[in-house]
Amino acid sequence: MRVLNWITALLLLAGAARAEFAADPLGQVEPLPERWPAHWVLVHDIAFEHIMDGKTVVLDLDAETPADQFKGMFNSAFAAFLAQSRTRPEIYLAETYYSRGTRGERTDVLTIYDKRSLSPTGEVVLKTNRAILLPQKFSMQMTSDDTLALIYNFTPAMSVSVVDPIAKRYVADIPIPGCAAVFPTGQRSFSSLCGNGTLYTVRLDADGQPAGTSRSERFFDPESDALIEKAAWHAGRAWFPSYHGRWQPVDFSGDAPRIEPAWSMLDDETAGWRPGGLAPAAAGADGRLYVLAHPEGREGSHRDPGVEVWVFDPSARQRIARYPLRLPGLTLALTRDAELLLVINVEMQLDVYRASDGELLKTIAGIGTETPLLVFGAN
Amino acid sequence: MNWLDQWTERRLRGIAQRSSRRSFLGRLGGLLAGAATLPLLPVARGADKAPESGDPTSCDYWRYCATDGFLCACCGGSASSCPPGTEMSPITWIGTCTNPVDNAAYVISYNDCCGKSACGNCSCTRNEGDRPIYQPQLNNEYNWCLGTEHQTYNCSVARVIGKAD
Repeated sequence: MRVLNWITALLLLAGAARAEFAADPLGQVEPLPERWPAHWVLVHDIAFEHIMDGKTVVLDLDAETPADQFKGMFNSAFAAFLAQSRTRPEIYLAETYYSRGTRGERTDVLTIYDKRSLSPTGEVVLKTNRAILLPQKFSMQMTSDDTLALIYNFTPAMSVSVVDPIAKRYVADIPIPGCAAVFPTGQRSFSSLCGNGTLYTVRLDADGQPAGTSRSERFFDPESDALIEKAAWHAGRAWFPSYHGRWQPVDFSGDAPRIEPAWSMLDDETAGWRPGGLAPAAAGADGRLYVLAHPEGREGSHRDPGVEVWVFDPSARQRIARYPLRLPGLTLALTRDAELLLVINVEMQLDVYRASDGELLKTIAGIGTETPLLVFGAN
Repeated sequence: MNWLDQWTERRLRGIAQRSSRRSFLGRLGGLLAGAATLPLLPVARGADKAPESGDPTSCDYWRYCATDGFLCACCGGSASSCPPGTEMSPITWIGTCTNPVDNAAYVISYNDCCGKSACGNCSCTRNEGDRPIYQPQLNNEYNWCLGTEHQTYNCSVARVIGKAD
């Protein structure tokens, strides 16, 4: 009896101790805010050597340590295309999967991710004709009214898929023979750059179906000085760098693109330099243009990394600064407030510079990425 | 020697090669809509083979003047054959390379071998003659595993298909 009393007392004590101990909750998952801070970015790692299993990492550039910078990630299969909604907390990926990983039945899909959970919340199955190429921003874009996703296809037939991510509906597959990439035009149209030196524009009706097409005059010569389709883009305007160092501005804000006079990036000081890289140009809220540049340009150097970033005032058509880079850069982007200049360098690290004066603020490495080729400022 | 060579060349090239992908690029390249079009090329198609010299596992090998990707000769295949279990893409990119033995120009077909993940060995990239994606026949950013059962890219071969006239 005495022993039983002791056991009872011990059990009571243990119970009391448990009641006072706040155990970690089971199953807790961190949320993210609906509107991401201005210095959050998305780093797209295509994982080139196991490309079916790429990923996109969300980073907070204001945080001090890699552990704190890493806010989460989501998978991005087979050199996925990525676009962010401007009005909904959503990210869209155009992906390709095989039923057995690298083989089996192919499925192309627009995957809808919720920015608050980084979870897929829906999808639209696509035709199996999505272009698979090195990642770039103009492979997929949202229409300017943010209602339709435009996806570039290449089989090698060239076309653009129109997808409604709100109704989760595949709308149309529109041929764009001899043309590539998508540049949102007007409210619901798009344009593509063509091998004959023109822009081809498709007007979409209220349902997203093609309602008419137009073609610009020939305004560049792809043979003598090709325009790099990886343009600097801001607020419906594009500045295309050319192989030999011109800026070609195009205003896409109206129903038809308005081609403006091209001007040179170069002067006596920089003769022989050229723009280059995988994503060589950026524009943003500060109204300035940025481009990666390298000296001793030659045939084939248009994807060489830049040793400097040049800053231009497009209204004055003048270079206003040259920023030497810590390491040559392949990819350039800005945060949405244009305060931070983002450079993926040749070591596959993310160098963060202050956009206003080119000071290196930090280098982000060791975050589990392999071949991060593209970076996006959070919308 | 250009400025690139002065930067930690080996590391730089390794990364540039990985990031630049695979594929086919040539000074006088052209996109062929399938192997059936190959006989239409304006090349001398004699029975003789091109004389050989050099190392097909090296990026400096003469046939690779316009390649971009992993060399199949380092991946279980050869300069002209795919590794086991892959499928050769019939849609190719054509380059013209000078053979150092006879100093003659040969037309090279850079077919991709497809159906497995990237081999990852012996990457080799050149961008001479490369043009943006709106000129696909001259662009090496595309995955050219087209017309194959699967579009996964493993490596690239460099098939000599004739003398360039």
